[in-house]
Amino acid sequence: MTSMQTRATAAIAAVVLAGAMSACGSDDDKSSAGGANTKQTVKVGGLFDLSGPTADVSTPYSEGVKGFVKDYNERGDGPRIELTAEDYKYDVAVAERLYSRYKADGVVAVQGWGTGDTEALRGKVTADRLPFMSASYAETLTDPKQTPFNFVAATSYSDQMRLALEWVGEEAQGAEVASFHHDSPFGESPQEAGKAKAKVLGLGFKTYAMPAEATDYVPQLRRAKAQGAKFVVIQNVSTPAAQLAKNIDEQGLDMKIVCLNWCGDELFVELAGKAADGAVGVLPFGPTSVEADGLAPPREFLAKNGGNLDKEGLHYVQGWYTMALMAEGIKRAADQGKVTGDAIRQALEAMDAFDTGGVSAPVDFTAQSHAGMKGSKLYEVKDGKWAKLTDLASVS
Amino acid sequence: MASATGVYHTSYRADLALRHTRAEYFRLALALATIAALPFVVSPYWLTVLNQIGIAIIGAIGLNLLVGFTGQISLGQGGFLAVGAYTSGLLAARAGLPFGLDVACAMLVTAAMGTLFGLPALRLKGLYLAIATLASQQIILWVVTHWDAVTGGTSALVVPPAELLGWQIYGDMAWYWVIAFCAGVATLAATNLMRTGIGRAFVAIRDHDVAASVIGVDPFRYKLLAFFISSAFVGLAGALTARYNLIVTWERFTLDVSILYLAMIIVGGLGSVAGAIYGAAFMIAVPVWIEELSRSLSSLAFLQPDLPAIQQLIPGLTIVLSLVFEPRGIARIWQRIKDYFRLWPFRH
Repeated sequence: MTSMQTRATAAIAAVVLAGAMSACGSDDDKSSAGGANTKQTVKVGGLFDLSGPTADVSTPYSEGVKGFVKDYNERGDGPRIELTAEDYKYDVAVAERLYSRYKADGVVAVQGWGTGDTEALRGKVTADRLPFMSASYAETLTDPKQTPFNFVAATSYSDQMRLALEWVGEEAQGAEVASFHHDSPFGESPQEAGKAKAKVLGLGFKTYAMPAEATDYVPQLRRAKAQGAKFVVIQNVSTPAAQLAKNIDEQGLDMKIVCLNWCGDELFVELAGKAADGAVGVLPFGPTSVEADGLAPPREFLAKNGGNLDKEGLHYVQGWYTMALMAEGIKRAADQGKVTGDAIRQALEAMDAFDTGGVSAPVDFTAQSHAGMKGSKLYEVKDGKWAKLTDLASVS
Repeated sequence: MASATGVYHTSYRADLALRHTRAEYFRLALALATIAALPFVVSPYWLTVLNQIGIAIIGAIGLNLLVGFTGQISLGQGGFLAVGAYTSGLLAARAGLPFGLDVACAMLVTAAMGTLFGLPALRLKGLYLAIATLASQQIILWVVTHWDAVTGGTSALVVPPAELLGWQIYGDMAWYWVIAFCAGVATLAATNLMRTGIGRAFVAIRDHDVAASVIGVDPFRYKLLAFFISSAFVGLAGALTARYNLIVTWERFTLDVSILYLAMIIVGGLGSVAGAIYGAAFMIAVPVWIEELSRSLSSLAFLQPDLPAIQQLIPGLTIVLSLVFEPRGIARIWQRIKDYFRLWPFRH
């Protein structure tokens, strides 16, 4: 029994120690709440993946969201936003728990991350009337009749696909397109739209699932070669997309890559190396290597705080402006009176197009459509950097 | 069964009784009082955690009937939960079935699916069966994500709020009582099942299937029955997940979930209904508790970059350590604690 007693004592000691530490550390936040402009404080909940399978892109995105809130509160031109951002590890059960905590804390809106949390909380945010923005751009979330509190702050995956195919149609009439996608709802989301669009444009279109556990995509590329594909559209995150680009290069295939949102970023270029050269991207939020007025605020904020926007990359900007959009809704709701989920929703729907300073297409929500952006610029990798290819294009 | 000194059983009935001593009745009353009081004292966040634990208890009891009592390893838990969730969700959303009826249908459908995928168990044992049930996990999830016409395929299935006798069940507090009731019924059902001939047949198959068939237990029948009953419990857990969360997404039922449930019953105690309860509570509450702890420790700047890694390390480490120190799980540790006090001041 002595060993058990020792263990019990150790456990109790650990608990006491932890309790003491937590007591020491809890007063910090209040003192730092500086600034005279504290007329009203609203709470916003944040769900990000900081240690799960999508942490590589979610971490800079979350930093962008946090960065904006800090900058916004320092500027103090609206109600103070108190953002609680937590890691949900891309685990749906954890997202559900954190959401209920945020709800109990009295948040007025939620910043989410991926398909996992967005889909899982769709029913709850509708019932609780809390506006929800995330980086999941599925077209199913854009219809206010179905999901009145979900706001898609970028070009939907389906529209990105349509834009990609329109560009392909202009480049090479009647070309064969191989659509490679993540084997999940996220990957399959734009495929139906792609099939329909390709038919209208007279393009060949076949889809190829990229299994999550695959180490290379040579078998799928064989089939794409047999199809006669000259263009490969990728709806996947940058790491597997870079692997696919390398495989195309190694096999000496004459196929041009067209990246949709999550495949086209700095990480893709870094990982794929020279195989990325010439790849085209439909990127709703432009890369940091292409100057735009809208890049100045995050760039200045980071420079002031010892960071570097070029290092953080385009996902930082994406998070920054998604939060900026929500903050604008909160500010306008505050001007009308009490900030509630309903008030923010109405403000976002009533608001004129929100300008991101050329980083993206203007964002415009209406009571009929929560698809924020209708178009996107296209970019191309040149000498290891994303460069502008076309001006703002809208789906015709 | 170990019992207090001075308690003599003079009939089979008394021997089979679930409780023998006053201490046991007292503990039962204490547990019931705790369950009734908990939702009023915990924070809303912990209430959600409690609801998740309640649902996991039902699923873990189901899995323990199969793995712990009958000795048939299953890695298909996530898939069967998905069958329950989608059946209930679809019946409620598309056919407008009232709450209760959809759950009952979900239990039946999941039980049928479990039996179907349990067929290989008649030929396979141990690791081979594990791989066969792993296939069921993959097949079910593939069907769920690709059968667009029925499941909606890629997008999530929105489920209408449940109504019971004209009263809408919404919010964590209302669901707490529904889930607690279901978990209570599941516990009672499983405990009583193990006192019947069926339960003893399960244990006989686990301990030695050839010997069991020699004494007249039909392995074919009882193995399938174990899959049927176990899957019905899992179907109930799946259906509650769907109705409670108002949405069904396939990402809630991946292989990780199957492994988490196996971990629950191993840590809690294989072949013990109480073990399934302790295990479910432990495996869900500990990560949450670590999250809370790390949140309060987050002011320690030097720990900050490593916090996610530590959060992932601790649950794994807990499982390894608890298995090293007590392979028979939390249920056994609890038994030892009770014995210690019962026999005090004597060691044996």
